[in-house]
Amino acid sequence: MVSQARGLAPRLERRVGHVIEFITRLLALAGGASLVAITAVTCISVIGRELASVPIPAFEIFGPIQGDFELVELGCAFAIFSFLPWCQMRRGHVTVDIFVQALGPRVNAGLALIGNLLLTVCAALIAVKLGEGLADKRAYSETTFILQMPAWWGYALALVGAWVFVLASAYTVWRSLNEMLGDGERG
Amino acid sequence: MGNMELAGASFVVLLALIFLRIPIGLSMLVVGIGGTVMVTGSWVPILAQMKSLTYETFSSYSLSIVPLFLLMGQFATRSGMSRGLFRAAAALIGHKRGGIAMASVAGCAGFGAICGSSLATAATMAQVALPEMKRYGYNGALSTACLAAGGTLGILIPPSFVLVIYAILAEQNIAKLFAAAFVPGILAAIGYVITISLFMRFDPDAAQPAEKASPRERMEAMLDVWPVVLIFLLVVGGIYLGWFTPTEGAAVGTAGTGLVALARRQLGWSALGECILATAVSSGMIFFIVFGAGVFNSFLAFTQMPQMAAEWVGNAGLNPWLVMAGILLTYLVFGCVMDSVSMILLTVPIFFPIVMTLDFGLSPEDTAIWFGVLVLIVVEVGLITPPVGMNLFIINSMAPDVPLTETYKGVIFFVLSDLIRVVILTAFPAITLAVLWL
Repeated sequence: MVSQARGLAPRLERRVGHVIEFITRLLALAGGASLVAITAVTCISVIGRELASVPIPAFEIFGPIQGDFELVELGCAFAIFSFLPWCQMRRGHVTVDIFVQALGPRVNAGLALIGNLLLTVCAALIAVKLGEGLADKRAYSETTFILQMPAWWGYALALVGAWVFVLASAYTVWRSLNEMLGDGERG
Repeated sequence: MGNMELAGASFVVLLALIFLRIPIGLSMLVVGIGGTVMVTGSWVPILAQMKSLTYETFSSYSLSIVPLFLLMGQFATRSGMSRGLFRAAAALIGHKRGGIAMASVAGCAGFGAICGSSLATAATMAQVALPEMKRYGYNGALSTACLAAGGTLGILIPPSFVLVIYAILAEQNIAKLFAAAFVPGILAAIGYVITISLFMRFDPDAAQPAEKASPRERMEAMLDVWPVVLIFLLVVGGIYLGWFTPTEGAAVGTAGTGLVALARRQLGWSALGECILATAVSSGMIFFIVFGAGVFNSFLAFTQMPQMAAEWVGNAGLNPWLVMAGILLTYLVFGCVMDSVSMILLTVPIFFPIVMTLDFGLSPEDTAIWFGVLVLIVVEVGLITPPVGMNLFIINSMAPDVPLTETYKGVIFFVLSDLIRVVILTAFPAITLAVLWL
């Protein structure tokens, strides 16, 4: 099954791959949980708002969840940042393959290597800059409008995904290097 | 180098990177960063922008609809509602010539009403419809092509996350766009059914008729689809009537499909995990493109290329209909190799201002909504145009005995039906906009 492994420490690469796959999957599941939480909060808020509009005095206790959209924004940002590393591990980013298909699997793995290198640089830039953004938000003690949540909370949650994204991207550089030196992309 | 030359050169570099198989979102990001540095002559503005740009993009309240709709589609796929829809449609029209293929299209249309993704619609309907079509001796070209084409109804019929992205780029009302997309979506389904009946006329051996369902069987099959109808009316109706914001509608729909899947015992922990992981891949991909496109488009705005292009077209006195035809043709050509989200993010910031300077005898808002629906249709045609059509690949991979060339042959008829519809909807904006004028 496993073809003859070649490249830069291929066996170590696969083992590291398993670990990173595990981490990124866990983080993606956490992001998904946050998405489910957003769904629940929003639905409860909608139901509360509709009930409150029923003209019965006892229904006055109902109402929308205050600042629900701030929670949605926070949860969505965490979800998306947590999804990025998993997407990268699963080769989920869209590419136009048709023009280089004829060049064979190894050249394609080489092009993927260039792409992954570029991506790692960009991911690192994103993470570093997000960290600076976090520092800014803390320094200015910015808070959200309704819930008065410190604005840096969202940045802090996002930063986890941003750095795992760097890690996953760096690993995929290694992976595509070995694929280029080996038999091409493993799919 | 002047700004216009820089913008022009950036497109050449961008396309070169994309065609060299660099991920599209990454290509836009890299060219956008490089371009901004060149046009501002310094790294400072772009680096300062990067501090908050990722977070602000990913925490956008309107964009949060996208992962919610994707999760909703995953739940809907799990729930087995596609099976119910297909059975109901097959009980009604399955006995006609090509009836099972028509039922697949009708099933896709129904599923499209609760799922905003074409690939998911095509794949889930293929799971139930392909074995049935095989049973009645449908030839491979017809059975795979009708499902690939039917899958595009997933995005054409609201809810549709591609339309959400257009709405954000063009700053238009999502509810109105959804409403406007409805009639063209139904027309698409009707067009595909007509295509199938013509296909059968040219090649009567392409399928055997199925037995007719009894009235009782029909009733039962029809009653089985009530959750789909309920969720669709609640989500799209609720958004349109202003009961809730589009994001709230998406959350309600996600909860609804999730509950149906749960009630049918299709959503255990491992299924939930799979739904989430699939949502994670597509959301990650889409948001990375959205981010890359954001950087690229803000670079283009620096060069002022979009405004200048719009002014130039406006002053050149070109025939507006000719310009529109040119724009739609561009989409069709690029659609052969590119995906819909990337195309919309890359082109709408340039084409939209151009279209808005042209006079089609419509109000600005009507023009914007009409253009959005047309763009949605032409980018979706890209999903079924050879050589690169994601729907073709996914359906073909599910029918291992059908060669890809057969699928290509069969789908040409459906592409023709799409083209005819685009011409009609372009020539008569009222078909799309009438819903809004009621």
